[in-house]
Amino acid sequence: MSLAAILSSLTFLVSLALIFSEKINRTIVGIAGAALMVGLGNFLGFYSESQALDSVDFNTLGLLLGMMILVSLLEPTGFFQYMAVWAGKLSKGQPVRLLVMLGAVTTLLSMFLDNVTTIVLIAPVTILICEILGITSTPFLIAEALLSNTGGVATLVGDPPNIIIGSAAGLSFNDFLVYSLPIVLVVWVITLLLLRFLMRHELSIPPKNMDAVMKLSPSEALDDKKTAKKILIVLGAAILLFFIAHFLHISPAYVALSSAGIALLWVRPDVKETLERIEWSVLIFFAALFVMVGGMESAGVLESLVHVLAGASSIPPVLFGVFIIWGVAGLSAIVDNIPITIAMIPVIHGLGAAGMEIGPLWWALAFGAGFGGNGTIIGSTANIVVATLSEKTRTPITTKMWTRRGLPVMLTTCSVATILYILVFPLFPR
Amino acid sequence: MNIEKFMKRNVISIPITSTIGDAAAVFIKERVSLLPILDAQGKPVGVVRLSNLVSMEMPDFLKLMEDFDFVHDFGAIESMQPTIEMLSRSVKTIMQPIDTIDKDCGLMRVYAIMLKDEIFDLPVTNDNGELVGIVSRVDIGTGILTTWCTE
Repeated sequence: MSLAAILSSLTFLVSLALIFSEKINRTIVGIAGAALMVGLGNFLGFYSESQALDSVDFNTLGLLLGMMILVSLLEPTGFFQYMAVWAGKLSKGQPVRLLVMLGAVTTLLSMFLDNVTTIVLIAPVTILICEILGITSTPFLIAEALLSNTGGVATLVGDPPNIIIGSAAGLSFNDFLVYSLPIVLVVWVITLLLLRFLMRHELSIPPKNMDAVMKLSPSEALDDKKTAKKILIVLGAAILLFFIAHFLHISPAYVALSSAGIALLWVRPDVKETLERIEWSVLIFFAALFVMVGGMESAGVLESLVHVLAGASSIPPVLFGVFIIWGVAGLSAIVDNIPITIAMIPVIHGLGAAGMEIGPLWWALAFGAGFGGNGTIIGSTANIVVATLSEKTRTPITTKMWTRRGLPVMLTTCSVATILYILVFPLFPR
Repeated sequence: MNIEKFMKRNVISIPITSTIGDAAAVFIKERVSLLPILDAQGKPVGVVRLSNLVSMEMPDFLKLMEDFDFVHDFGAIESMQPTIEMLSRSVKTIMQPIDTIDKDCGLMRVYAIMLKDEIFDLPVTNDNGELVGIVSRVDIGTGILTTWCTE
Protein backbone atom coordinates (compact mmCIF):
# COMPACT_ATOMS: atom_id res chain seq x y z
CA MET A 1 0.00 0.00 0.00
CA SER A 2 1.36 3.42 -0.96
CA LEU A 3 1.80 6.35 1.43
CA ALA A 4 -1.07 8.11 -0.37
CA ALA A 5 -3.34 5.11 0.17
CA ILE A 6 -2.42 4.87 3.86
CA LEU A 7 -2.84 8.58 4.57
CA SER A 8 -6.12 8.89 2.65
CA SER A 9 -7.57 5.82 4.38
CA LEU A 10 -6.45 7.20 7.72
CA THR A 11 -8.12 10.57 7.01
CA PHE A 12 -11.36 8.82 6.12
CA LEU A 13 -11.31 6.41 9.07
CA VAL A 14 -10.49 9.12 11.62
CA SER A 15 -13.28 11.30 10.18
CA LEU A 16 -15.70 8.37 10.39
CA ALA A 17 -14.68 7.71 14.00
CA LEU A 18 -15.25 11.37 14.87
CA ILE A 19 -18.64 11.36 13.13
CA PHE A 20 -19.69 8.22 14.99
CA SER A 21 -18.44 9.54 18.33
CA GLU A 22 -20.84 12.50 17.89
CA LYS A 23 -18.39 14.69 19.80
CA ILE A 24 -18.19 17.14 16.90
CA ASN A 25 -21.01 17.94 14.47
CA ARG A 26 -20.84 15.57 11.50
CA THR A 27 -20.90 18.32 8.88
CA ILE A 28 -17.96 20.09 10.51
CA VAL A 29 -16.01 16.80 10.57
CA GLY A 30 -16.97 16.24 6.94
CA ILE A 31 -15.74 19.63 5.74
CA ALA A 32 -12.50 19.33 7.73
CA GLY A 33 -11.90 15.76 6.50
CA ALA A 34 -12.59 16.70 2.88
CA ALA A 35 -10.25 19.69 3.13
CA LEU A 36 -7.52 17.48 4.60
CA MET A 37 -8.05 14.87 1.89
CA VAL A 38 -7.74 17.40 -0.94
CA GLY A 39 -4.77 19.03 0.81
CA LEU A 40 -2.97 15.69 1.10
CA GLY A 41 -3.93 14.85 -2.48
CA ASN A 42 -2.47 18.11 -3.76
CA PHE A 43 0.70 17.74 -1.70
CA LEU A 44 1.37 14.09 -2.56
CA GLY A 45 -0.05 14.42 -6.06
CA PHE A 46 -2.74 11.73 -5.86
CA TYR A 47 -5.89 13.88 -5.83
CA SER A 48 -6.42 17.25 -7.50
CA GLU A 49 -9.13 19.81 -6.78
CA SER A 50 -10.87 19.07 -10.07
CA GLN A 51 -10.81 15.34 -9.27
CA ALA A 52 -12.38 16.15 -5.90
CA LEU A 53 -15.13 18.10 -7.65
CA ASP A 54 -15.69 15.19 -10.04
CA SER A 55 -16.09 12.73 -7.21
CA VAL A 56 -19.07 14.63 -5.74
CA ASP A 57 -22.16 12.77 -6.86
CA PHE A 58 -24.31 15.66 -8.01
CA ASN A 59 -27.04 13.22 -8.96
CA THR A 60 -27.55 12.37 -5.27
CA LEU A 61 -27.28 16.01 -4.18
CA GLY A 62 -29.61 17.26 -6.92
CA LEU A 63 -32.24 14.67 -6.15
CA LEU A 64 -32.05 15.45 -2.42
CA LEU A 65 -32.16 19.21 -2.98
CA GLY A 66 -35.08 19.02 -5.40
CA MET A 67 -37.14 16.87 -3.02
CA MET A 68 -36.18 19.08 -0.07
CA ILE A 69 -37.47 22.18 -1.92
CA LEU A 70 -40.79 20.45 -2.65
CA VAL A 71 -41.13 19.44 1.01
CA SER A 72 -40.15 22.91 2.14
CA LEU A 73 -42.98 24.33 0.02
CA LEU A 74 -45.48 21.75 1.26
CA GLU A 75 -44.51 22.06 4.94
CA PRO A 76 -46.23 25.37 5.81
CA THR A 77 -49.47 24.47 4.01
CA GLY A 78 -50.60 22.18 6.84
CA PHE A 79 -50.89 19.22 4.48
CA PHE A 80 -49.02 16.86 6.81
CA GLN A 81 -51.25 17.85 9.74
CA TYR A 82 -54.28 17.44 7.49
CA MET A 83 -53.29 13.87 6.68
CA ALA A 84 -52.70 13.02 10.36
CA VAL A 85 -56.00 14.57 11.49
CA TRP A 86 -57.81 12.79 8.67
CA ALA A 87 -56.24 9.47 9.72
CA GLY A 88 -57.23 10.14 13.32
CA LYS A 89 -60.81 10.90 12.41
CA LEU A 90 -61.07 7.87 10.15
CA SER A 91 -59.89 5.64 13.00
CA LYS A 92 -62.97 6.74 14.97
CA GLY A 93 -60.69 6.79 17.99
CA GLN A 94 -60.16 3.03 18.13
CA PRO A 95 -56.52 2.52 19.19
CA VAL A 96 -55.63 -0.36 16.85
CA ARG A 97 -57.25 1.36 13.89
CA LEU A 98 -55.50 4.59 14.86
CA LEU A 99 -52.14 2.76 14.91
CA VAL A 100 -52.74 1.33 11.44
CA MET A 101 -54.03 4.59 9.96
CA LEU A 102 -51.32 6.85 11.38
CA GLY A 103 -48.62 4.26 10.57
CA ALA A 104 -49.87 3.94 6.99
CA VAL A 105 -50.14 7.70 6.43
CA THR A 106 -46.67 8.35 7.86
CA THR A 107 -45.19 5.55 5.76
CA LEU A 108 -46.91 6.63 2.56
CA LEU A 109 -45.74 10.22 2.97
CA SER A 110 -42.19 9.24 3.91
CA MET A 111 -41.93 6.92 0.90
CA PHE A 112 -41.93 10.01 -1.31
CA LEU A 113 -41.08 12.86 1.03
CA ASP A 114 -38.44 13.45 3.65
CA ASN A 115 -38.87 11.02 6.50
CA VAL A 116 -37.81 13.46 9.24
CA THR A 117 -40.05 16.32 8.09
CA THR A 118 -42.97 13.90 7.94
CA ILE A 119 -42.36 12.71 11.50
CA VAL A 120 -41.70 16.21 12.87
CA LEU A 121 -45.08 17.39 11.57
CA ILE A 122 -47.19 14.30 12.21
CA ALA A 123 -45.93 13.38 15.70
CA PRO A 124 -47.38 16.48 17.49
CA VAL A 125 -50.80 15.80 15.94
CA THR A 126 -50.47 12.18 17.04
CA ILE A 127 -49.78 13.27 20.61
CA LEU A 128 -52.75 15.66 20.50
CA ILE A 129 -55.13 12.95 19.23
CA CYS A 130 -53.92 10.53 21.93
CA GLU A 131 -54.32 13.13 24.68
CA ILE A 132 -57.84 13.91 23.45
CA LEU A 133 -58.57 10.20 23.67
CA GLY A 134 -56.89 10.00 27.07
CA ILE A 135 -54.51 7.24 25.96
CA THR A 136 -50.72 7.13 25.99
CA SER A 137 -49.10 8.31 22.75
CA THR A 138 -45.94 6.20 23.19
CA PRO A 139 -46.94 3.16 21.08
CA PHE A 140 -48.20 5.37 18.25
CA LEU A 141 -45.05 7.50 18.14
CA ILE A 142 -42.75 4.46 18.20
CA ALA A 143 -44.85 2.77 15.51
CA GLU A 144 -44.77 5.85 13.27
CA ALA A 145 -40.98 6.01 13.40
CA LEU A 146 -40.49 2.25 12.90
CA LEU A 147 -43.01 1.99 10.08
CA SER A 148 -41.74 5.05 8.23
CA ASN A 149 -38.12 3.85 8.53
CA THR A 150 -39.24 0.51 7.12
CA GLY A 151 -41.39 1.99 4.36
CA GLY A 152 -38.68 4.41 3.27
CA VAL A 153 -36.63 1.48 1.93
CA ALA A 154 -39.28 0.86 -0.74
CA THR A 155 -38.52 3.75 -3.09
CA LEU A 156 -35.53 5.50 -4.62
CA VAL A 157 -36.48 8.77 -2.92
CA GLY A 158 -37.70 7.25 0.35
CA ASP A 159 -34.42 7.40 2.22
CA PRO A 160 -31.03 9.09 1.66
CA PRO A 161 -29.13 5.73 1.57
CA ASN A 162 -31.39 4.64 -1.31
CA ILE A 163 -30.57 7.79 -3.26
CA ILE A 164 -26.85 7.16 -2.75
CA ILE A 165 -27.14 3.47 -3.68
CA GLY A 166 -29.35 4.24 -6.67
CA SER A 167 -26.88 6.74 -7.99
CA ALA A 168 -23.77 4.61 -7.33
CA ALA A 169 -25.28 1.44 -8.81
CA GLY A 170 -27.28 3.11 -11.56
CA LEU A 171 -30.59 1.86 -10.15
CA SER A 172 -33.70 3.62 -11.38
CA PHE A 173 -36.92 4.54 -9.58
CA ASN A 174 -38.56 1.56 -11.28
CA ASP A 175 -35.80 -0.80 -10.13
CA PHE A 176 -36.74 0.07 -6.57
CA LEU A 177 -40.42 -0.51 -7.29
CA VAL A 178 -39.65 -3.92 -8.78
CA TYR A 179 -36.95 -5.23 -6.42
CA SER A 180 -37.46 -3.35 -3.16
CA LEU A 181 -41.14 -2.40 -2.88
CA PRO A 182 -42.57 -5.98 -2.84
CA ILE A 183 -40.10 -7.10 -0.17
CA VAL A 184 -40.68 -3.94 1.87
CA LEU A 185 -44.46 -4.40 1.64
CA VAL A 186 -44.20 -7.87 3.18
CA VAL A 187 -41.76 -6.62 5.82
CA TRP A 188 -43.98 -3.60 6.58
CA VAL A 189 -47.10 -5.71 7.16
CA ILE A 190 -45.14 -8.07 9.40
CA THR A 191 -43.76 -5.06 11.32
CA LEU A 192 -47.29 -3.77 11.83
CA LEU A 193 -48.51 -7.16 13.08
CA LEU A 194 -45.50 -7.46 15.37
CA LEU A 195 -46.11 -3.98 16.79
CA ARG A 196 -49.77 -4.85 17.31
CA PHE A 197 -48.59 -7.83 19.35
CA LEU A 198 -45.80 -6.04 21.25
CA MET A 199 -48.14 -3.20 22.20
CA ARG A 200 -51.22 -5.30 22.88
CA HIS A 201 -51.48 -4.09 26.50
CA GLU A 202 -51.37 -0.36 25.72
CA LEU A 203 -53.69 -0.79 22.75
CA SER A 204 -56.29 -2.66 24.79
CA ILE A 205 -56.94 0.29 27.12
CA PRO A 206 -60.30 1.72 25.99
CA PRO A 207 -60.15 5.44 25.05
CA LYS A 208 -62.22 7.78 27.18
CA ASN A 209 -63.43 10.28 24.67
CA MET A 210 -63.97 8.89 21.21
CA ASP A 211 -66.64 11.47 20.28
CA ALA A 212 -64.10 14.29 20.57
CA VAL A 213 -62.00 12.69 17.81
CA MET A 214 -65.01 12.67 15.53
CA LYS A 215 -65.24 16.44 15.99
CA LEU A 216 -61.74 16.96 14.56
CA SER A 217 -61.88 19.02 11.42
CA PRO A 218 -59.13 18.02 8.93
CA SER A 219 -59.96 20.85 6.52
CA GLU A 220 -59.16 23.41 9.20
CA ALA A 221 -55.69 21.89 9.58
CA LEU A 222 -55.01 22.59 5.92
CA ASP A 223 -54.04 26.25 6.21
CA ASP A 224 -53.14 26.87 2.58
CA LYS A 225 -55.24 24.61 0.40
CA LYS A 226 -54.30 26.36 -2.85
CA THR A 227 -50.55 25.95 -2.39
CA ALA A 228 -50.90 22.39 -1.11
CA LYS A 229 -52.87 21.51 -4.25
CA LYS A 230 -50.21 23.02 -6.52
CA ILE A 231 -47.34 21.19 -4.78
CA LEU A 232 -49.23 17.89 -4.83
CA ILE A 233 -49.87 18.26 -8.56
CA VAL A 234 -46.15 18.94 -9.16
CA LEU A 235 -45.20 16.08 -6.85
CA GLY A 236 -47.56 13.72 -8.66
CA ALA A 237 -46.07 14.76 -11.99
CA ALA A 238 -42.57 14.27 -10.58
CA ILE A 239 -43.42 10.74 -9.45
CA LEU A 240 -44.81 9.97 -12.92
CA LEU A 241 -41.63 11.35 -14.46
CA PHE A 242 -39.52 9.20 -12.12
CA PHE A 243 -41.25 6.18 -13.69
CA ILE A 244 -40.32 7.15 -17.23
CA ALA A 245 -37.10 9.10 -16.55
CA HIS A 246 -35.08 6.16 -17.84
CA PHE A 247 -36.82 6.19 -21.21
CA LEU A 248 -36.52 9.96 -21.51
CA HIS A 249 -32.78 9.73 -20.73
CA ILE A 250 -33.09 12.16 -17.84
CA SER A 251 -31.76 11.62 -14.34
CA PRO A 252 -33.92 11.49 -11.18
CA ALA A 253 -32.00 14.58 -10.04
CA TYR A 254 -33.18 16.45 -13.12
CA VAL A 255 -36.77 15.37 -12.46
CA ALA A 256 -36.58 16.55 -8.82
CA LEU A 257 -34.86 19.84 -9.57
CA SER A 258 -37.05 20.75 -12.52
CA SER A 259 -40.15 19.89 -10.46
CA ALA A 260 -38.83 22.13 -7.68
CA GLY A 261 -38.29 24.87 -10.27
CA ILE A 262 -41.82 24.56 -11.59
CA ALA A 263 -43.28 24.48 -8.07
CA LEU A 264 -41.33 27.60 -7.09
CA LEU A 265 -42.47 29.38 -10.24
CA TRP A 266 -46.08 28.38 -9.63
CA VAL A 267 -46.24 29.13 -5.90
CA ARG A 268 -43.86 32.15 -5.80
CA PRO A 269 -43.11 31.75 -2.08
CA ASP A 270 -40.82 33.89 0.04
CA VAL A 271 -37.67 32.24 -1.33
CA LYS A 272 -35.56 33.11 1.69
CA GLU A 273 -38.02 31.37 4.01
CA THR A 274 -38.37 28.36 1.70
CA LEU A 275 -34.62 27.90 1.37
CA GLU A 276 -34.12 28.28 5.11
CA ARG A 277 -36.04 25.05 5.60
CA ILE A 278 -33.64 23.14 3.32
CA GLU A 279 -31.21 21.01 5.30
CA TRP A 280 -28.06 22.45 3.82
CA SER A 281 -25.93 20.78 6.48
CA VAL A 282 -27.06 17.37 5.19
CA LEU A 283 -26.19 18.27 1.59
CA ILE A 284 -22.77 19.60 2.58
CA PHE A 285 -22.14 16.50 4.70
CA PHE A 286 -22.92 14.30 1.68
CA ALA A 287 -20.63 16.32 -0.60
CA ALA A 288 -17.81 16.14 1.95
CA LEU A 289 -18.15 12.36 2.29
CA PHE A 290 -18.05 11.99 -1.50
CA VAL A 291 -14.86 14.07 -1.66
CA MET A 292 -13.25 11.88 1.02
CA VAL A 293 -14.24 8.59 -0.62
CA GLY A 294 -13.09 9.97 -4.00
CA GLY A 295 -9.70 10.75 -2.47
CA MET A 296 -9.33 7.19 -1.24
CA GLU A 297 -10.24 5.86 -4.67
CA SER A 298 -7.71 8.16 -6.36
CA ALA A 299 -5.04 7.07 -3.91
CA GLY A 300 -5.51 3.50 -5.04
CA VAL A 301 -7.19 2.21 -1.88
CA LEU A 302 -9.78 0.55 -4.07
CA GLU A 303 -7.16 -1.53 -5.87
CA SER A 304 -5.65 -2.63 -2.57
CA LEU A 305 -9.16 -3.46 -1.43
CA VAL A 306 -9.72 -5.57 -4.54
CA HIS A 307 -6.76 -7.74 -3.58
CA VAL A 308 -8.10 -8.21 -0.08
CA LEU A 309 -11.60 -8.81 -1.37
CA ALA A 310 -10.46 -11.25 -4.06
CA GLY A 311 -10.42 -13.86 -1.33
CA ALA A 312 -13.96 -12.93 -0.36
CA SER A 313 -15.19 -13.38 -3.92
CA SER A 314 -15.07 -17.13 -3.45
CA ILE A 315 -17.85 -16.83 -0.85
CA PRO A 316 -21.25 -17.50 -2.49
CA PRO A 317 -22.74 -14.08 -3.38
CA VAL A 318 -26.04 -14.92 -1.69
CA LEU A 319 -24.20 -15.50 1.60
CA PHE A 320 -22.28 -12.29 1.09
CA GLY A 321 -25.57 -10.45 0.63
CA VAL A 322 -26.84 -11.87 3.92
CA PHE A 323 -23.62 -10.72 5.62
CA ILE A 324 -24.17 -7.24 4.24
CA ILE A 325 -27.80 -7.10 5.43
CA TRP A 326 -26.87 -8.03 8.99
CA GLY A 327 -23.52 -6.25 9.18
CA VAL A 328 -24.86 -2.97 7.84
CA ALA A 329 -28.04 -3.29 9.93
CA GLY A 330 -25.99 -3.83 13.08
CA LEU A 331 -23.87 -0.76 12.36
CA SER A 332 -26.88 1.36 11.32
CA ALA A 333 -28.55 0.59 14.64
CA ILE A 334 -25.75 2.26 16.56
CA VAL A 335 -24.43 4.88 14.15
CA ASP A 336 -25.57 7.06 11.25
CA ASN A 337 -26.40 4.95 8.20
CA ILE A 338 -25.34 7.57 5.62
CA PRO A 339 -21.55 7.33 6.11
CA ILE A 340 -21.86 3.54 6.32
CA THR A 341 -23.65 3.47 2.98
CA ILE A 342 -21.15 5.83 1.34
CA ALA A 343 -18.25 3.80 2.75
CA MET A 344 -19.76 0.51 1.56
CA ILE A 345 -20.04 1.70 -2.04
CA PRO A 346 -16.32 1.43 -2.92
CA VAL A 347 -16.23 -1.91 -1.09
CA ILE A 348 -19.03 -3.30 -3.26
CA HIS A 349 -17.48 -1.82 -6.40
CA GLY A 350 -14.21 -3.46 -5.26
CA LEU A 351 -15.95 -6.81 -4.98
CA GLY A 352 -17.26 -6.27 -8.50
CA ALA A 353 -13.75 -5.60 -9.75
CA ALA A 354 -12.63 -8.77 -7.98
CA GLY A 355 -15.11 -10.69 -10.10
CA MET A 356 -18.20 -11.00 -7.87
CA GLU A 357 -21.72 -10.41 -9.22
CA ILE A 358 -22.56 -7.32 -7.25
CA GLY A 359 -26.06 -6.54 -8.59
CA PRO A 360 -27.88 -8.23 -5.71
CA LEU A 361 -25.52 -6.76 -3.09
CA TRP A 362 -26.89 -3.25 -3.61
CA TRP A 363 -30.28 -4.43 -2.41
CA ALA A 364 -28.72 -6.08 0.63
CA LEU A 365 -27.07 -2.75 1.43
CA ALA A 366 -30.39 -0.88 1.08
CA PHE A 367 -32.21 -3.36 3.35
CA GLY A 368 -29.47 -3.37 5.99
CA ALA A 369 -29.15 0.43 6.09
CA GLY A 370 -32.93 0.90 6.16
CA PHE A 371 -34.07 -1.76 8.62
CA GLY A 372 -31.06 -1.47 10.95
CA GLY A 373 -32.05 2.01 12.08
CA ASN A 374 -35.09 0.58 13.89
CA GLY A 375 -33.04 -1.27 16.48
CA THR A 376 -32.18 1.50 18.90
CA ILE A 377 -33.55 4.87 19.99
CA ILE A 378 -30.59 6.58 18.25
CA GLY A 379 -30.68 4.34 15.16
CA SER A 380 -32.38 6.90 12.94
CA THR A 381 -33.26 10.58 13.02
CA ALA A 382 -36.97 9.72 13.06
CA ASN A 383 -36.46 7.72 16.27
CA ILE A 384 -34.65 10.61 17.94
CA VAL A 385 -37.38 13.04 16.83
CA VAL A 386 -40.27 11.05 18.32
CA ALA A 387 -38.33 10.37 21.51
CA THR A 388 -37.59 14.09 21.93
CA LEU A 389 -41.20 15.09 21.23
CA SER A 390 -42.49 12.49 23.66
CA GLU A 391 -40.59 14.26 26.45
CA LYS A 392 -43.40 16.83 26.30
CA THR A 393 -45.93 14.17 27.29
CA ARG A 394 -46.61 12.28 30.51
CA THR A 395 -44.99 9.14 29.14
CA PRO A 396 -41.61 10.01 27.61
CA ILE A 397 -40.08 7.27 25.45
CA THR A 398 -37.12 5.76 27.26
CA THR A 399 -34.23 3.78 25.79
CA LYS A 400 -35.57 0.67 27.46
CA MET A 401 -39.04 1.25 26.07
CA TRP A 402 -37.57 1.62 22.59
CA THR A 403 -35.34 -1.42 22.78
CA ARG A 404 -38.31 -3.58 23.84
CA ARG A 405 -40.15 -2.68 20.60
CA GLY A 406 -37.49 -1.51 18.16
CA LEU A 407 -35.03 -4.35 18.62
CA PRO A 408 -37.57 -7.14 17.99
CA VAL A 409 -38.78 -5.16 14.97
CA MET A 410 -35.23 -4.79 13.65
CA LEU A 411 -34.44 -8.47 14.16
CA THR A 412 -37.72 -9.56 12.59
CA THR A 413 -37.51 -7.20 9.62
CA CYS A 414 -33.91 -8.23 8.93
CA SER A 415 -34.81 -11.93 9.25
CA VAL A 416 -37.80 -11.61 6.93
CA ALA A 417 -35.74 -9.51 4.50
CA THR A 418 -33.00 -12.18 4.61
CA ILE A 419 -35.43 -15.00 3.83
CA LEU A 420 -37.03 -13.05 0.99
CA TYR A 421 -33.59 -11.98 -0.24
CA ILE A 422 -32.45 -15.60 -0.45
CA LEU A 423 -35.70 -16.64 -2.13
CA VAL A 424 -35.66 -13.96 -4.81
CA PHE A 425 -31.87 -13.86 -5.16
CA PRO A 426 -31.88 -15.49 -8.63
CA LEU A 427 -34.27 -12.78 -9.86
CA PHE A 428 -32.04 -9.79 -8.97
CA PRO A 429 -30.26 -8.25 -11.96
CA ARG A 430 -26.58 -9.17 -11.84
CA MET B 1 -49.65 60.80 38.03
CA ASN B 2 -48.17 57.86 39.93
CA ILE B 3 -49.49 54.43 40.76
CA GLU B 4 -50.10 54.91 44.46
CA LYS B 5 -53.53 56.40 43.72
CA PHE B 6 -54.72 53.47 41.62
CA MET B 7 -53.22 50.47 43.37
CA LYS B 8 -55.17 47.95 45.43
CA ARG B 9 -54.03 48.35 49.03
CA ASN B 10 -55.47 45.12 50.29
CA VAL B 11 -52.82 42.70 49.05
CA ILE B 12 -53.91 39.09 49.24
CA SER B 13 -50.91 36.90 49.93
CA ILE B 14 -50.08 33.43 51.20
CA PRO B 15 -47.45 32.25 53.67
CA ILE B 16 -44.47 30.24 52.45
CA THR B 17 -45.73 27.25 54.41
CA SER B 18 -48.74 26.88 52.06
CA THR B 19 -49.28 23.94 49.74
CA ILE B 20 -50.23 24.18 46.07
CA GLY B 21 -53.74 23.11 47.10
CA ASP B 22 -53.92 26.00 49.62
CA ALA B 23 -52.86 28.46 46.92
CA ALA B 24 -55.56 27.08 44.60
CA ALA B 25 -58.19 27.61 47.31
CA VAL B 26 -57.11 31.25 47.79
CA PHE B 27 -57.21 31.87 44.02
CA ILE B 28 -60.74 30.50 43.87
CA LYS B 29 -61.96 32.50 46.88
CA GLU B 30 -60.34 35.84 46.02
CA ARG B 31 -60.51 35.60 42.19
CA VAL B 32 -57.06 37.13 41.76
CA SER B 33 -54.38 36.08 39.29
CA LEU B 34 -51.23 36.54 41.39
CA LEU B 35 -50.37 35.81 45.01
CA PRO B 36 -47.24 37.17 46.68
CA ILE B 37 -45.64 34.58 48.99
CA LEU B 38 -44.52 35.90 52.39
CA ASP B 39 -41.90 34.43 54.72
CA ALA B 40 -42.35 34.13 58.52
CA GLN B 41 -41.40 37.83 58.95
CA GLY B 42 -44.03 38.91 56.43
CA LYS B 43 -41.41 39.75 53.80
CA PRO B 44 -42.32 38.91 50.16
CA VAL B 45 -40.02 36.18 48.85
CA GLY B 46 -41.73 35.20 45.63
CA VAL B 47 -45.01 34.93 43.77
CA VAL B 48 -47.27 32.26 42.40
CA ARG B 49 -49.49 32.97 39.41
CA LEU B 50 -52.84 31.46 38.54
CA SER B 51 -51.26 30.48 35.21
CA ASN B 52 -48.50 28.52 37.02
CA LEU B 53 -51.15 26.37 38.63
CA VAL B 54 -53.19 25.89 35.45
CA SER B 55 -50.07 25.01 33.43
CA MET B 56 -49.33 22.19 35.85
CA GLU B 57 -52.11 20.36 34.03
CA MET B 58 -51.97 22.15 30.66
CA PRO B 59 -50.07 19.60 28.56
CA ASP B 60 -46.63 20.71 27.38
CA PHE B 61 -47.05 19.37 23.89
CA LEU B 62 -49.63 22.08 23.13
CA LYS B 63 -46.65 24.41 22.82
CA LEU B 64 -45.42 22.25 19.92
CA MET B 65 -48.53 22.97 17.89
CA GLU B 66 -48.59 26.04 15.70
CA ASP B 67 -52.34 26.13 15.97
CA PHE B 68 -55.15 23.81 16.93
CA ASP B 69 -58.10 25.35 15.11
CA PHE B 70 -58.94 21.91 13.80
CA VAL B 71 -59.60 20.58 17.31
CA HIS B 72 -63.15 21.43 18.28
CA ASP B 73 -63.24 19.31 21.42
CA PHE B 74 -60.26 18.75 23.70
CA GLY B 75 -61.79 15.49 24.91
CA ALA B 76 -59.87 13.88 27.74
CA ILE B 77 -57.55 16.90 28.02
CA GLU B 78 -60.52 18.86 29.45
CA SER B 79 -60.76 16.54 32.42
CA MET B 80 -57.07 16.39 33.31
CA GLN B 81 -56.55 16.88 37.04
CA PRO B 82 -53.51 17.00 39.26
CA THR B 83 -53.03 14.18 41.73
CA ILE B 84 -53.60 14.72 45.47
CA GLU B 85 -49.87 14.30 45.89
CA MET B 86 -49.22 17.22 43.50
CA LEU B 87 -51.70 19.43 45.37
CA SER B 88 -50.04 18.67 48.71
CA ARG B 89 -46.61 19.76 47.49
CA SER B 90 -45.18 22.98 48.96
CA VAL B 91 -45.91 26.17 47.06
CA LYS B 92 -42.13 26.66 47.07
CA THR B 93 -41.88 24.05 44.28
CA ILE B 94 -43.62 26.35 41.80
CA MET B 95 -42.70 29.72 43.33
CA GLN B 96 -41.41 32.37 40.87
CA PRO B 97 -39.09 35.28 41.68
CA ILE B 98 -40.94 38.46 42.68
CA ASP B 99 -40.86 41.58 40.49
CA THR B 100 -41.99 44.77 42.22
CA ILE B 101 -42.48 48.41 41.31
CA ASP B 102 -41.98 51.50 43.43
CA LYS B 103 -45.18 53.31 44.44
CA ASP B 104 -43.89 56.60 42.99
CA CYS B 105 -43.49 55.18 39.49
CA GLY B 106 -45.40 56.91 36.67
CA LEU B 107 -48.43 55.20 35.12
CA MET B 108 -47.13 55.12 31.54
CA ARG B 109 -43.82 53.67 32.67
CA VAL B 110 -45.50 50.84 34.63
CA TYR B 111 -47.82 50.09 31.75
CA ALA B 112 -44.88 49.96 29.33
CA ILE B 113 -42.97 47.62 31.66
CA MET B 114 -46.04 45.39 31.99
CA LEU B 115 -46.48 45.16 28.22
CA LYS B 116 -42.81 44.57 27.55
CA ASP B 117 -42.31 41.90 30.21
CA GLU B 118 -45.76 40.36 29.67
CA ILE B 119 -46.76 41.06 33.28
CA PHE B 120 -50.41 41.27 34.26
CA ASP B 121 -50.08 42.01 38.00
CA LEU B 122 -47.27 43.76 39.80
CA PRO B 123 -46.76 44.11 43.58
CA VAL B 124 -46.00 47.68 44.71
CA THR B 125 -43.39 48.53 47.38
CA ASN B 126 -42.58 51.67 49.39
CA ASP B 127 -39.15 53.24 49.91
CA ASN B 128 -38.30 50.62 52.56
CA GLY B 129 -39.10 47.78 50.19
CA GLU B 130 -42.25 46.82 52.08
CA LEU B 131 -45.27 45.50 50.18
CA VAL B 132 -47.91 48.27 50.18
CA GLY B 133 -50.19 47.31 47.29
CA ILE B 134 -50.64 45.55 43.99
CA VAL B 135 -51.59 46.79 40.51
CA SER B 136 -53.02 45.04 37.50
CA ARG B 137 -53.00 46.14 33.85
CA VAL B 138 -56.66 47.10 34.35
CA ASP B 139 -55.79 49.34 37.33
CA ILE B 140 -53.03 51.11 35.43
CA GLY B 141 -54.91 51.28 32.12
CA THR B 142 -58.04 52.76 33.67
CA GLY B 143 -55.78 55.07 35.74
CA ILE B 144 -54.33 56.44 32.51
CA LEU B 145 -57.82 56.91 31.04
CA THR B 146 -58.92 58.74 34.21
CA THR B 147 -56.25 61.37 33.65
CA TRP B 148 -57.68 61.99 30.14
CA CYS B 149 -61.21 62.47 31.35
CA THR B 150 -60.41 64.81 34.24
CA GLU B 151 -58.28 67.14 32.10
